[in-house]
Amino acid sequence: MQKWFTLTLALTLLACTKKSLEYGLDIKDTIRINCQTEPPTMDWTKMHDTASHMVSINMMEGLTGIDYDNAELPATPKLATEWTTKDARVWTFTLRKGVKWSDGVEFTAQHVLDGFERLLNPKTGSTYSYLLFPIKNGEAYFKGEVKDFSQVGVKINDKGQIVIELVKPMSYFPYIMGHQATFPIRKDIIAKYGEDKWADAGRIATIGAYNLKIWDHDKNIVLERNDNYYGDKAKTKNILVYMINDYSTAVNLYHSGKLDFQEQLPSNEARGLKTDPGFKQRPMLGLYYYGFNVKKPPFDNAKVRQAFAYAIDRKQITDLLAGGQVPLNGFIPPGMFGHEADVGIHADPAKAAKLLDEAGFKDRSHFPRVTIGFNTDETHQRIAENVQAQLKKNLGVQVELANEEWKVYLNHLITDAPNIYRLGWIADYPDPDTFYSIFLSNSENNHSGWTNKTYDNLVAQGASELNKEKRRQIYLKAQKLLTEEELPMLPIYVQTYSSLISPRLKNFPNNPLERIELKGTTIQ
Amino acid sequence: MNGLLKVLRLAPWILFGACVLISFCGFNLNPIFIWLTLLSFVVELGLVAVKKGLVFYMLRRLGEALVTLWLIASLTFLLLRILPGGPFDEEKALPPDVKASIEAKYKLHDPLLKQYADYLKGIVTGDLGESYKYTGRNVADIITESVPDSVQLGIYSILVAYLIGIPFGVWAAARQGTWIDALLMTLAISGVAMPSFLIAPIFILIFCFGLGWFEPALWLGPAYYVLPTIVLGIRPAASIARLTRASVLEVIRSDFIRTAKAKGLEESKVLFKHVLRNSMIPVLSLTGPLVASVLTGSFVIEQIFAIPGSAKHLIQSVSNRDYPLILGMTLLFSALLVIANLITDLLISVIDPRVKMS
Repeated sequence: MQKWFTLTLALTLLACTKKSLEYGLDIKDTIRINCQTEPPTMDWTKMHDTASHMVSINMMEGLTGIDYDNAELPATPKLATEWTTKDARVWTFTLRKGVKWSDGVEFTAQHVLDGFERLLNPKTGSTYSYLLFPIKNGEAYFKGEVKDFSQVGVKINDKGQIVIELVKPMSYFPYIMGHQATFPIRKDIIAKYGEDKWADAGRIATIGAYNLKIWDHDKNIVLERNDNYYGDKAKTKNILVYMINDYSTAVNLYHSGKLDFQEQLPSNEARGLKTDPGFKQRPMLGLYYYGFNVKKPPFDNAKVRQAFAYAIDRKQITDLLAGGQVPLNGFIPPGMFGHEADVGIHADPAKAAKLLDEAGFKDRSHFPRVTIGFNTDETHQRIAENVQAQLKKNLGVQVELANEEWKVYLNHLITDAPNIYRLGWIADYPDPDTFYSIFLSNSENNHSGWTNKTYDNLVAQGASELNKEKRRQIYLKAQKLLTEEELPMLPIYVQTYSSLISPRLKNFPNNPLERIELKGTTIQ
Repeated sequence: MNGLLKVLRLAPWILFGACVLISFCGFNLNPIFIWLTLLSFVVELGLVAVKKGLVFYMLRRLGEALVTLWLIASLTFLLLRILPGGPFDEEKALPPDVKASIEAKYKLHDPLLKQYADYLKGIVTGDLGESYKYTGRNVADIITESVPDSVQLGIYSILVAYLIGIPFGVWAAARQGTWIDALLMTLAISGVAMPSFLIAPIFILIFCFGLGWFEPALWLGPAYYVLPTIVLGIRPAASIARLTRASVLEVIRSDFIRTAKAKGLEESKVLFKHVLRNSMIPVLSLTGPLVASVLTGSFVIEQIFAIPGSAKHLIQSVSNRDYPLILGMTLLFSALLVIANLITDLLISVIDPRVKMS
């Protein structure tokens, strides 16, 4: 018996190693953030979610970045030192010299072209391929109509610059070069490890201030300072990324000193957290809106849509949510070029009732049954209930609420959108085009069924106009059409971020695109 | 020879105990050690089966289990295709060409029957496919990476459930009708009635932020293990306590206990030797449902305590419509349940000579 016991004990001791706590990182040189969930990928050509983006933005850079210190958020040099264009159709980017990848390999123009080729290659299956469709033959290459990538409008000229030829002028094109999907790619690494396996720790090479040191799936990611970075080296050595789904849990960890940054807060706890010294609330370049299905009565009548817009006081909704959201009557959020404070319809119950009378619904009992659709979520529910009450009070119209699980709802939007549907939109790049293109006649994201030639033309003109003042005027017209006359949707508010940032962090990034680039952040 | 056999019979439990202790102290278990433990249990089960003449019965049950799993796999596969909304429907809608090219990559354009055949072939060859959501990660890898933490949590909780439930149940039965009985049973009923998403924050508030004994979340060592284990174990513990009490009371009133008492045996000996053994049968038969309740309960607990286990994958994979991962997780959870039920039946036949399996 004793023999067996000794044997078991010996086996036991052999069998175990101490679990290392937090990967042996020095807490004084580590920023601890939460990206909410396991990032689906670190492959920047393919990523399309906030968690991956939050990590990746610290590791990778493209030709351009964004100057957050300037209120208009212009594009700023990163891997390209400058760019020129005469007509906004042909763009020439001059590349930075002496840039090295984290594994010491020199960065070349070919890496940029390889990134473009991979993004446009249908085999890659990137969700952002369409970003390069404006490039000559870009879409044709994606569709397989052009087989040879050298026919796509991207060239390296004899000065080593990258020359990009677009199908038509596009004034905001430099922003596209700052989107992660267009970042340079190392084909040698992909060839070595495989299309889906290269973007993991120990394999991936990056160009940004950090590189990927450990990826402990479903638990943590550790980023380490990239000593080959071309710019000012990262101030803090490591970033430890947690993947905690539950907001309240993350807040608990923050309070117990285990987390330095939590990006989003539980809406029901945000009020109580306002007194926390690390509490920060900032508006972001994101909309919350209600779309109207204009293909079905009663919203096929613009007067009914206007009546609804006059009947709903957006301020009541933001007061109800009390999360710092800003009521929005126009279409472009403040902080972005093209925002106009006095555009859009403001609540006016008397006018609302009058418009609905004019639309032929003087007898409200004849008003068709109308449904507000939204995906199941407490905040969406509260907003819909408030809207329901306002419509009842101001218009005497009874609407119904219908919530569905997220993917069922998305499917429903495509096949047969509810009379009124809730959606949001967060800017891909800080240019109004990111918002205006939602409601283009051929947009996949326009679930309203509203098509308007004038609007399409205005948006196209706006995209190609280089003169700022002229561009502003064009967009003003588009905005008025959208939010005062036609109203395929009703803007409700500008979304905000409510975050907790530990006071031990100094110089924490602060920008309306919520890009958490931590290279300048220090720890006290 | 006999002595060696006895030690062999004990080995799985010793190994199991060692596993629990080591892991609880915050050490990583060597996989060989875990396999050794599992193997010893299989050997033990085999020995029992041979001894009781249950080999054929066990084989039949295993066959049934496989059929059950095949049915579950097929039904899940079918239901997923009926479910509205696809894996690549996103808030920022994709141009149709882009979406089609992604779907083609994952062979979603193949005829349904071919997809089904490929999928069954994959299961048989142990290839569960690649996740749609987590690029380049194999479903089998996701499962093997996340399951250990879940199993750890589950085993601790079941142990806690028995360790709290049985003594409290016996105690309440022995003091039937007194205030101790009333207090314990009130606690038990509250334990059954209170949902874990209510208990968890209350415990976190008291034991983490009030007393500072434990950590509020994550899964890194003993200070992290205690709260989730207890919160997950409370409800089964309460059911076990109530069942134990009822069962003990029933056995106490039976004739053979009266005989034992009449023989002049000590009260404690009667209680622990005769009463307890016989009243454990209904309690043990609860193991199957208990495993089920711990499995389902772990969704909430893993979420609240940020435990990197596999339960969250079952939920999130459905929201993501990540077909391979949903199918993999469903198979895993069903297999666990089927196995738990099988073992329960065998255990009962070992403990209760009246139960005949054939």
